[in-house]
Amino acid sequence: MTFYDIAHESWLSISGNKMRSFLTVLGIVIGIMAVVIMVAVGETVQQSITDQFSSLGTNTIMIRAGAAQSAGVRSGNRMTLTMDDVQYLSQLPDVAAVSPVENSGAQVVYGNKNWSTSMVGVYPGYATVQNIEMEYGTFIDMSAVRSAATYAVIGPDTAEELGMPKNPVGEIIRVRNTPLVVIGVTKAKGDSGMGSQDDMIIVPITTLKKRITGSRFPNSVNTISLKLYQDSDNNIATEQITALLRQQHKLKDGAADDFQITDMKQVMETMNTVSSYLTLLLVAIAAVSLLVGSIGIMNMMLVSVAERTREIGIRKAIGAQESTIITQFLSESILISFIGSLFGLVLGVGLSQGVGRFILHYNVPFSIWPVVVSISVAVVVGLASGVMPAIKAAKLNPIDSLRYE
Amino acid sequence: MKQTPIISMKKICKSFPLEVGGEQQVLFDISFTINPGEFVAIMGPSGSGKSTCMNIIGALDSATNGVYELYGKDITTLSPDELAKIRNEYIGFVFQNFNLLPKRNILDNVMLPLMYRGLPMNERLERAREMLQLVNLENFETYLPTQLSGGMKQRVAIARALAGDPKLILADEPTGALDSKMGNEILKFFKKLNKELGITIVMITHEFEIAQYANRVIHIYDGRITFDGPIPKNESVLLKSEQKVRNK
Repeated sequence: MTFYDIAHESWLSISGNKMRSFLTVLGIVIGIMAVVIMVAVGETVQQSITDQFSSLGTNTIMIRAGAAQSAGVRSGNRMTLTMDDVQYLSQLPDVAAVSPVENSGAQVVYGNKNWSTSMVGVYPGYATVQNIEMEYGTFIDMSAVRSAATYAVIGPDTAEELGMPKNPVGEIIRVRNTPLVVIGVTKAKGDSGMGSQDDMIIVPITTLKKRITGSRFPNSVNTISLKLYQDSDNNIATEQITALLRQQHKLKDGAADDFQITDMKQVMETMNTVSSYLTLLLVAIAAVSLLVGSIGIMNMMLVSVAERTREIGIRKAIGAQESTIITQFLSESILISFIGSLFGLVLGVGLSQGVGRFILHYNVPFSIWPVVVSISVAVVVGLASGVMPAIKAAKLNPIDSLRYE
Repeated sequence: MKQTPIISMKKICKSFPLEVGGEQQVLFDISFTINPGEFVAIMGPSGSGKSTCMNIIGALDSATNGVYELYGKDITTLSPDELAKIRNEYIGFVFQNFNLLPKRNILDNVMLPLMYRGLPMNERLERAREMLQLVNLENFETYLPTQLSGGMKQRVAIARALAGDPKLILADEPTGALDSKMGNEILKFFKKLNKELGITIVMITHEFEIAQYANRVIHIYDGRITFDGPIPKNESVLLKSEQKVRNK
């Protein structure tokens, strides 16, 4: 028997009982589709985590004022970090850029438009830390910080919401009655939602504290963001930062840190681990439906062997060997499984890409391995569920099967 | 020159294990030889063992004891797969209930033994069409067995049996499911195949009229051969021969 003969015989048998074959194939279609979609969901989550962090960079470290946790009263906004700390941190060998970060909400007015957005007071190093690139104009420089200049860098979305001209450099916006000259617009990063870098007003931290919020503690800092050199070790840098800040803050041995360090690389790794476990869980659940589908194949093949006892008898009488009968039944179950996998794959990829692109407007990553997995699963499932019925068929005694009614 | 006999059975015994233990012997020391070109009817009442005998001749079953040579080849102790190969090469089956594959068309049915033999598709087609022509069904290639009359189905079965160019046609009650007119047609066709093409035919039947189309009859009763020779004038000769066994 040639490969063509085997495929042809299998096809004739399967198509000879269309409804039953369709339902059996459907079981595999649903199983494979579920696996493919769950893999896509997992990869999408992972991808979005990576995307969010890559806009920040994984070599970013954030230091917040206040102890991580303390008994009794929460320490909250204790003014433990200072501008001096920023100075010292900038001298550490691993630190590429550093900036204090002071957040505030802002109601911005431009002409007759107004827009509620977030405002952040920073140093020039912030551009490096946050990977900010300029579309128009320039970023804040140190002299602007020193003089608490009324300069502002705005995000492209903010400019659009305020209805500013295409190049708004030189325009004046007002925040809490303080006029600010727009000196630059950042390049769109494309992220959206809370804390979007595209909808934000960036001012020198001194301007924010002295002119806009009127802070009573001009020397204290809420947060310090810093960026390490590409080849730095995040863990070593974290240790150095801790040691430096403890020394500066004159903390005794055994005393708790009065600041918290968040290493973005660690955060990303943790989130990736969590999401990969989630993916695994989803795929495992989907695999159950694939298992049910393969039991469907086995069931169908067993019924088929019983139904076709006489056919098997005829085939054996005119010269089919046991191995030929096994091959025939195995190839039938593999063919069913293969057809199911193919449709499941197409539907799964189609659905996940379609829903991702047109409903969620998110680029769902497409990887080759669902294809590889579903085809190998097709063969394995087909073999596994076909072996028992096929052997049963091959072992039938031709004399008895010829008499079978 | 001595011809190689198609079938040579020497003291074939067959017994089946019983569920209650022990075993039941259904064939006792069956010995006969069938030479090329013979048309032999194997007769006997139901339960006589003629079906078991046919299964052994047809290499569907093996004997418990004795030696069975098919075309000079001892096939007594072959494995199921080796027997399948022997059946494919040496024997063409014609069954009482046709045993065609119901969902395959006539041409596919006739080509089936050739597929198992591993012939390339063009040779299969050529040979199968030749055989369909021989049984006058060349215009029915794409018909399904269910669309044909009983006589036509049996002709398809004969075409399938002949397709593999076997040494022997083994027909098991070939007219049992046909009315007498169609039955006679089939039997005449067998006669023609035997006379004109020299094909060796072994036919199992329990009807004396049918056996008369053959040249020789082997009568089996209670698992033993009671008569082996040219067709007698009337059936009573065969029935009388059964006495030999009964008296034992």
